[in-house]
Amino acid sequence: MPLIRKTADPLATAPPPLAEVISAFANGTSEERWVAARSAHDIPGSAKILGEALTRERNARVREAMFTSLARIATAESVALILPFLRSDEAYLRTGALDALRAMKGAVSPYLQRLLEDGDADVRLLACELVRNVPDDEAERLLCGLLEAEREPNVCASAVEVLAEIGGADALPVLARCEQRFRESPFLVFSIKVAADRIRSQP
Amino acid sequence: MSEFLYRRTGMVFTEAKRFYVERRVVERMTATGSGSFASYFAWLRNDAQGEIEHFVNAFTVNETYFYREDYQLSCLTSDLLAERLRAKRRPGPIRIWSVPCSTGEEPYSIAIWLLENWPLVDEYEIEIVGSDIDTGALEQARSGVYGKRALMRLSPAITEKYFAPAQGETWKILDDLRQSVSFSRVNIVESAETRAHGQFDVIFCRNVLIYFDDASRRIAAENLYENLAPGGFICLGHTESMSRISPLFEVRRFADAIVYQRPAEGGNG
Repeated sequence: MPLIRKTADPLATAPPPLAEVISAFANGTSEERWVAARSAHDIPGSAKILGEALTRERNARVREAMFTSLARIATAESVALILPFLRSDEAYLRTGALDALRAMKGAVSPYLQRLLEDGDADVRLLACELVRNVPDDEAERLLCGLLEAEREPNVCASAVEVLAEIGGADALPVLARCEQRFRESPFLVFSIKVAADRIRSQP
Repeated sequence: MSEFLYRRTGMVFTEAKRFYVERRVVERMTATGSGSFASYFAWLRNDAQGEIEHFVNAFTVNETYFYREDYQLSCLTSDLLAERLRAKRRPGPIRIWSVPCSTGEEPYSIAIWLLENWPLVDEYEIEIVGSDIDTGALEQARSGVYGKRALMRLSPAITEKYFAPAQGETWKILDDLRQSVSFSRVNIVESAETRAHGQFDVIFCRNVLIYFDDASRRIAAENLYENLAPGGFICLGHTESMSRISPLFEVRRFADAIVYQRPAEGGNG
């Protein structure tokens, strides 16, 4: 038979020193920056370096690896370094930041309340997605709190979408009040009806 | 316990899987003669008698069969290999990775499918590697012995051509075919382990990312990206979408299947 046989030879590799990562980010090719970004999460003190490099990086693939490394570090520092990208004018950076924060679970939880109260409606909208990271009861509390005061229908729609999946009976009166406030917005009224029906149908 | 398993494998078992987890822990406690959960956990954490490997093996799902999701195998011989051959700049084998390969049905299926359906099979060297985290499954894969259920989608003619009857209602892959596939252990969220396997033209990574959480999926996607030659393809399970996991890959729609592609050099970085 023409098929051939070869054996893989797994080898362990140690992370490079931090200075090497810094140098790669400053002067390396995109491949070298990708490799540096991928290994950085294992190196103490690398979060700040990653955060700074991310602000300069133009290559989408390398940015993705930087976000992943920051997500793997998953400390308050790495969360704080990612959060500003939620305000980026570039959709890729906003989405990249959101996906990275979504992968950080517990580390991002302490920031959720503040994000849901942010002055930027786009940030509040993205924060609704992040709420999926916390246990359902806590997520419901956070989203109901937002819905009681939120003025932007798009933000409400984002919260309603999540509540439709994780919400319980306590969310129903909040949804009803939101529907009253936005009765001029047919899309939101429809979304709330769907969410409320789904919640009521749950055992 | 679920946290321990997650750290070791990237697999996520939530409260909804409590029964599944408990049943396997009890099995391992019985197998190791542990009188209490605390003593078993200590045994596990110390990796006494290689318990971590046994523990991980107990949690992997090894239910599969030959020619499963064969529309992707059709796509392989109809489109993917031709495109890879056009893109190859250096001579060398066509490398195909089945990961996770479980008990070997998938990598052997690829080998059989190529022998049966790819007219150019005699003109190129083809290296097929099957890898899995479950060392018990890998041992079964290497033995190449399968029951009736695993062969249910193969025609009698194919079964007769590539298998020999073995004990009971089992069949053994012919030695030539068995030796044409190599097997190795790998944890796809461990970059050092995946990198050691080199780059492939096509990767079959089906129905494993669904067991991972967002963080592990991102890591696995980046590892798999590195394991693909530029322009190489990755096939996921039919319910999985790489687009929801990572922006690193491009979606390619072929007549038989949707697959994902690492951009060729010069694209996406």
